[in-house]
Amino acid sequence: MSVGSLENWIEQLKKCKPLLEEEIKQLCSMAVEILVKDKVVQKVSAPVTICGDIHGQFHDLTELFNVGGQLPDTNYVFMGDYVDRGYYSVETVSLIIALKVRFPKRIAILRGNHETRQISQVYGFYDECLRKYGSANVWKYFTDVFDCLPLTALVENEIICMHGGLSPSLDTLDHIRSLDRFQELPGEGPMADLCWSDPDERYGWGISPRGAGYTFGEDISEAFLQNNGLSLIARAHQLVMDGYYWQHSGRVVTIFSAPNYCYRCGNQAAIMQVDEHRKRKLVQFDAAPRTEPQVSRRTPDYFL
Amino acid sequence: MISSSDNSHSRDAHTHNSDSCCSSTPRIPKREILTKSDLERFQTSETYEKYMGFITKLNEAVVDKPLDYSADKSDNITFLMELLDKLKAWVDEIPPADVGLSRFGNPSFRKWHDKLSEKHLELLTIVPEDYKTEVGTYLLASFGDYKRIDYGTGHEASFMCFLLCLQHLGLIKEEDYPALVLSVFWQYIMVMRKLTHAYWLEPAGSHGVWGLDDYHFLPFLFGSGQLSTHKYLRPKSIHDPEILEEFGEKYMYLSSIKHINSIKSATLRWHSPMLDDISGVKKWEKVNSGMFKMYKAEVLNKLPIMQHFLFGSIIQFKGSADGTEVEMEHVHAFGQEHPLCCSIRIPSSIAAVQGELRKPIPFD
Repeated sequence: MSVGSLENWIEQLKKCKPLLEEEIKQLCSMAVEILVKDKVVQKVSAPVTICGDIHGQFHDLTELFNVGGQLPDTNYVFMGDYVDRGYYSVETVSLIIALKVRFPKRIAILRGNHETRQISQVYGFYDECLRKYGSANVWKYFTDVFDCLPLTALVENEIICMHGGLSPSLDTLDHIRSLDRFQELPGEGPMADLCWSDPDERYGWGISPRGAGYTFGEDISEAFLQNNGLSLIARAHQLVMDGYYWQHSGRVVTIFSAPNYCYRCGNQAAIMQVDEHRKRKLVQFDAAPRTEPQVSRRTPDYFL
Repeated sequence: MISSSDNSHSRDAHTHNSDSCCSSTPRIPKREILTKSDLERFQTSETYEKYMGFITKLNEAVVDKPLDYSADKSDNITFLMELLDKLKAWVDEIPPADVGLSRFGNPSFRKWHDKLSEKHLELLTIVPEDYKTEVGTYLLASFGDYKRIDYGTGHEASFMCFLLCLQHLGLIKEEDYPALVLSVFWQYIMVMRKLTHAYWLEPAGSHGVWGLDDYHFLPFLFGSGQLSTHKYLRPKSIHDPEILEEFGEKYMYLSSIKHINSIKSATLRWHSPMLDDISGVKKWEKVNSGMFKMYKAEVLNKLPIMQHFLFGSIIQFKGSADGTEVEMEHVHAFGQEHPLCCSIRIPSSIAAVQGELRKPIPFD
């Protein structure tokens, strides 16, 4: 596989044109080879731009790159949830994986709670793969890649990034490093918590109303940061109306990068830029304008 | 008081498992479907037939009838309309809290829901005393999740179960069915629109653009039933703003499209490709039969939804759930001994890989 054809794929994907099944298979096997080398706690240097949920909103991902800068000029950490709910999960996750394969040192892609077989089968990605490729093969290739995604990124030994939040089973970065991540995300336990937990105004650990992960209070965030010599937890996972949301006296920031989520929420999206001096800047952006998509109607099987 | 039901869905209908579940003593409904195999058994149960039979009859009852069809309203239909009016009026009495633009889900919804919990039994004056709690539980579960502040098709199904209970108790007769859908069910949808709008209920388990709608299913099912013999309105009419304007108040399907258009940005093709795709079907009749297939597959055959379905003495099923739903208060950190007061073990990754998933599929 030459860099040239990889570049061609990226160019094609940037136009929101999906790759062929055979190409996806090839891309995914290349991605697995690269991702297994990433660490559970993937080290990242500044300057870097940290992004939250995308959920198949391809046109808004394009807008994100317009606002944040293109690879490889800008480094990125994506904190998961590339797929489900949006119409272009296939194109979105293909592009993100292709960029990872092309610029492995420039972009870290973490696992979100939707990068799992169980969840992506329910919330749209599986149906989308079936619809766009006529079989579940590409869904299988992608979900095999998901098993290799790192769970956290560590920016300059200051900012810990993960999709969801903390886990009562993980007090230190070394605890996280000891996880065997190469598997379907379990329904519970430390790996699940990193992808499912939410910060909360209540102190201590709480039962999550989601039925997976936990809620964690400011005392928990403070202790975790202090124990590990860190200053900030950056996470995604929750829709926030301004695109970002500070909690726990500035110890936790939620970043959500899908503007006007599901065409109804009216929220802004945001990304966090960390410059070479480790100064942080939150940049908001709105949904990209949509022109009428060039697709032909396809009657769902139920109505045939 | 309790008149026996006059159709084949008699009270002593048996489900496949004929143990304790089948006594007809009223009881508090609880969850029974926990595993994939529970769900498979449910699909072939008499209760499933009973539920779908009810939906089918209701659908038949509204064919060719617009929302303003003047059906005679029995006292109980009038009672239900007034009940829903009250619930709707509470939204005005309990304004959403000013929480700034932080998260979805306004906490005032819980106040509204607290009021429902507090009042629902005394409101259900038509229901015989011994069935009040059982029937009331379905009503209570019809308006969204208290903790998560969300709403979805599972809650909508709970409302249908509430109506099914009333039918079973003889409080609703078959001649009430047109009004039950066109007035009562539609009024319920209006209550939900008001609730979702005022308190920003999150769509429960939304499939995003890959679902029919963020919240509802049945307005599209009954709505296509209403139109199935219409002389000139066609499924593609949903793209015609003038038709939506003129007929939006008469047909649930068109009203729902109009409503979605009003709350979403971009066009139908973008925000609702499923509905757009379905508009390519030639006849409403086909849309209607498709909605039945889709409802069975996408709602009644989905574990994340059906694990919350409630069963009691009227709507019976015995699954593998042991009925002990422990409300857990707190958990303890890594390294601490698992205390007796707390039923969550940490770390518990071992439990996660043991056999069939017995923990409910999480919400997102």
